Amino acid sequence: MARRFGCQVGITVMPTYVEIMSDGVTARRIHNCGINFDLNARLSRLSWEVADRRYSLEQAKAEFQKIINIPRTNPIQVLFQASIANAAFCRLFQGDAAAVAVVFIATLAGFRIRQIMLDRRIDFRLTVICAAFVAATISSACYLFGWGNTPEIALGTSVLYLIPGVPYINAVSDMMDKHYLSAYSRFMDALIITACITIGLVAAMFLMGIKILS
Amino acid sequence: MEEFLINIVQDGLLAAVAAIGFSSISNAPKRAYLTCGVIAAVGHVVRYILMRPFCGPMNIIVASFIASLAIGVLAVILSRRIKCPAEVCFFPALLPMIPGMYAYRALEALLMCLVHTSEPTFNHYLYLLSYNGLTCIFIIIGMVLGATIPVFALKRMAFQATR
Repeated sequence: MARRFGCQVGITVMPTYVEIMSDGVTARRIHNCGINFDLNARLSRLSWEVADRRYSLEQAKAEFQKIINIPRTNPIQVLFQASIANAAFCRLFQGDAAAVAVVFIATLAGFRIRQIMLDRRIDFRLTVICAAFVAATISSACYLFGWGNTPEIALGTSVLYLIPGVPYINAVSDMMDKHYLSAYSRFMDALIITACITIGLVAAMFLMGIKILS
Repeated sequence: MEEFLINIVQDGLLAAVAAIGFSSISNAPKRAYLTCGVIAAVGHVVRYILMRPFCGPMNIIVASFIASLAIGVLAVILSRRIKCPAEVCFFPALLPMIPGMYAYRALEALLMCLVHTSEPTFNHYLYLLSYNGLTCIFIIIGMVLGATIPVFALKRMAFQATR
């Protein structure tokens, strides 16, 4: 893109801001907007349009404004898709029918909590702890009422929808590209979210008095 | 044999459903849903077959790595058709292979370590913790390496997917 406009650019990506060096240095804080593949795909397309000289600067700016204002998928639809996905997950790990049903309900509740708390801009880590706690509490029903033969699978998979898979994968691909700083910060981020899931899960297990004895 | 085929189909379908559902959390474009599902199904079925007795059974770490290679190659090829970056296709496809149960068992063992009553029980749970934890970590590393190697190897193709 830079070559098209005839300037040299260096980009430094740090955990909380991006630095763009061309004639002067511009640093911008990173807005936390959640993972948005649709946005990624559209922006990637836009960057090629600009680089291949199909758009002028003004056209590109207008297109950019249009792209960043596209709303996300309907939250209720996402909620149900995520719940079905997590239930399918449970079945994939050999959970029985009772476990699948309980995981579906637990994900429905936990994911809704996550959506509500993120809409109110509550800290993401606190959100994850609460969502994991709610999901794990509901799915411990399999233990408490003796439903099915695979209660541990129900409890284990009920919090999986919170696992930050994308940061983990990004961390490794950054590492392969030798962006070690960025890789480390992403990995740390993902690790902390995973720790938060653990806190929620353990709190729920203590509350419900689940003894995990093999 | 018949049961084996049914299991394969069931495995693939479940992986596809899980991948499509999780891709919606990351707001994937709707035109990517089908591709994500297909790639996830292929990846998971490859791993399922590799881990059957007639293939060794192959170690879960190696099997995950090979399955992820398949996912990566497919993602790079198919992403051009739906005009999305390859990452959009393979992230959701990798998710059904995340070793959630190993992670959960490691955590369970950690808790048991903390409330142990005698040295042998502590050692037993410490063993479970390290076994499950290490397996989990190496599966994830293997998966991610497997999926990103094709993207780097076919960099030209992957990079220009949205062109």
